[in-house]
Amino acid sequence: MPSAALTKAKVLVVDDYQGMRTILRDLVRSMGVTRVDTAASGRDALNHLRTNRYDVVICDFNLGIGLNGQQVLDEARLHDYIGVSTIWVMVTAEKTAEMIMGAAEAKPDEYLLKPINQNILEGRLERLIVKKQALRGVEEALRGRDYATALARCNQLLVAEGGKAPEILRIKSDLLLKLGDYDGAKTLFESVLAARSVPWARTGLGKVYFHQGQYEMARSQFRQVLEENRMFIEAADWLAKTFDAMGDKPQAQQVLQAAVKLSPNSAYRQRALGETAWRNGALDVAQGAFEKTIQISEFSSNKHPAAYVALARVLSDSDSPEEALKLLKRTNEVFKDSKDGVNIAIQAAAVQSAVHHKAGQAEEAQAAMAQVEALLASHADKASPQTAMEVAQSMLALGRKEQACALMRNLVKSHHEDAQLSGQVQELFEQAQMGEEGRTLIAESREEAISINNQGVLLGRQGQFAEGARLLRIALQNLPHSEVMMMNLCGLLIGQMRAEGRSDALLAEIMGLLERVNEINPDNAKYRQYMALLRPAGGR
Amino acid sequence: MAQDDISFTDLMASSIHDMKNSLNVQISALEKIAAQCKAHGDTQDYTDLGGVIYQANRMNANLIQLLSLYKLDKAIYPVDIAECPVAELVEDALAMYRPVMAFKDIGVEVDCDAGCYWYLDRDLMAGVLLNALNNAFHYTRDKIRIAARIDGGCLELRVEDNGQGYPAHMLRDERVNASAAGVNFRTGSTGLGFYFSAQVARVHRNGGRQGMLIIENGGAWGGGCFVVRLP
Repeated sequence: MPSAALTKAKVLVVDDYQGMRTILRDLVRSMGVTRVDTAASGRDALNHLRTNRYDVVICDFNLGIGLNGQQVLDEARLHDYIGVSTIWVMVTAEKTAEMIMGAAEAKPDEYLLKPINQNILEGRLERLIVKKQALRGVEEALRGRDYATALARCNQLLVAEGGKAPEILRIKSDLLLKLGDYDGAKTLFESVLAARSVPWARTGLGKVYFHQGQYEMARSQFRQVLEENRMFIEAADWLAKTFDAMGDKPQAQQVLQAAVKLSPNSAYRQRALGETAWRNGALDVAQGAFEKTIQISEFSSNKHPAAYVALARVLSDSDSPEEALKLLKRTNEVFKDSKDGVNIAIQAAAVQSAVHHKAGQAEEAQAAMAQVEALLASHADKASPQTAMEVAQSMLALGRKEQACALMRNLVKSHHEDAQLSGQVQELFEQAQMGEEGRTLIAESREEAISINNQGVLLGRQGQFAEGARLLRIALQNLPHSEVMMMNLCGLLIGQMRAEGRSDALLAEIMGLLERVNEINPDNAKYRQYMALLRPAGGR
Repeated sequence: MAQDDISFTDLMASSIHDMKNSLNVQISALEKIAAQCKAHGDTQDYTDLGGVIYQANRMNANLIQLLSLYKLDKAIYPVDIAECPVAELVEDALAMYRPVMAFKDIGVEVDCDAGCYWYLDRDLMAGVLLNALNNAFHYTRDKIRIAARIDGGCLELRVEDNGQGYPAHMLRDERVNASAAGVNFRTGSTGLGFYFSAQVARVHRNGGRQGMLIIENGGAWGGGCFVVRLP
């Protein structure tokens, strides 16, 4: 007998093929489910999902032209059409590498291989309902990015299951990595690996080494995973990342090219290949990879503006300026209503300027750069690091060295703890044959930022909260994106309130800072700590 | 791509894929009709359809096996050896097969601990179990037993029946347990199922050890036993 939870469920069946749609709908009905809707395409499915709340979605992966099943799921999550408790079953005719370890952020709850009969479907759904119920607390915390709570709930579940449930262990290990508890993650992975060489655990161990900067160790872990199970493509992505960090871009490209052959439909991987190949001067590979990145997300609202902009640069480098300019025009059209619209417009104008410059059209190049400057001036606080780097790159090409350096100095100062970003800035200078200058600029900027922050923190330790706050406020005017500085300022202001008593003005300033940090980086670890401090106990 | 560049095996593979899809639609439709017959009390039609559905399922299982073997051979099968609750694997295979079992009134016993997890490719092993069940279904008198246990660092998965068991020459022939293809096993068998099952077992490795398929007589009822051991 089907459970009440199942018969009461509201179910959506998505399949582009009429015959299969009817079969699936009849299967669901014969389980005693009365509320069943059907959709014939990805768009149709999203329309249903937008206007209804479904408990179960049974969706074919292959939906013909347009969105595929994974993209429908991604969009539904993106727009919050489905909640944590919605069960998503992806139906496919065959198993692919993507299903095992695609770069997909949101995997479905289950893949179901055809043929499907009622017994199979009913059994799976009943099992998923139970599992979903057990994991609900963890998933809710994950969705709210409250990783500490999610971790605590995983630990509770593990105690209840006697530490055995591999799925919970896996979620827990992801959380430890997210929270930066590398020692904890390492212990977990090693304890799993002690019994058997499990690919997810070995890949995880490699990630720990990577994050700790032990690239040789990371490399050998990822290599072993791929030797034992070459379909575990996530390890290939990380191996490429490791080679990249080690400065071995040709190897990184080789690894990505092999991975893309096995699993071509990941926009993330294609983009990584495009960027690596471009740096290596393999323009044809880069062009193909960026084109594929754009093509993959053609029907999806989750597009990759970086691929458009990068492809325009590749086209310009391959002496096709007209193509490049056409693409930039299209880029502006595609992204004009997106929330990153301003950033993309600035980047497109910056690249446009470089394209004209390379094609010997000096006037057009200057005009485009003037447009960049105007946009930057009116949206200074919105410009992303990526935008700053695109602009600097074009400025260097146009010979505006000082402007480019000033921009990069500010960028490094605003993110002085972000080693990856510093690496990208360094690469930008290397490409312009200014490696030495880049190194000096980065070192000086980091030192300067550290020194200001240290001064502020030191003043705080001496009880001079207001003095410290004043110092950081001034520094922040020039570095409006510095998360570290905003958080330090928050700490000082909280100290000041403790010393002098609560004040509405200080509280408003603190809340404003926290809001901005949360906007820039929803995963900021200190954000939650400060929020908890400010809220009275049990106030959530 | 020029016409000459199309490989025959690739063409076979894509055709198999296509046939499999058609067959799935047929099977679903047949099951629906069978359910209607049963509801209307058309016992004879219901039983007849049972035989047709059994054959269609066999065909489907064969196509899946061919396709998987093609992909394993080309090293493009996404082998995914991960922790899997063995009881769920067995449950799924039975769910797939239950409609067929019902036609012949065969009793199934399952002996598997709910907490039994093992490292295996769920879909490939589902194919192996389905093949074992197909076999047992054909040769059993009226009972099938599925047993799983962890023994000596291996998962041992057994499908036993209470039929006559395998003929002596098959058990003697070492090639059978090594599963050479093309051998006529029990009547009418092409050997595909055994070959597939042995290949799938071998895909499962741990350290220096490799999985294997064993054919024997005995078990709970002295009939045929289909045994897969995975390290």
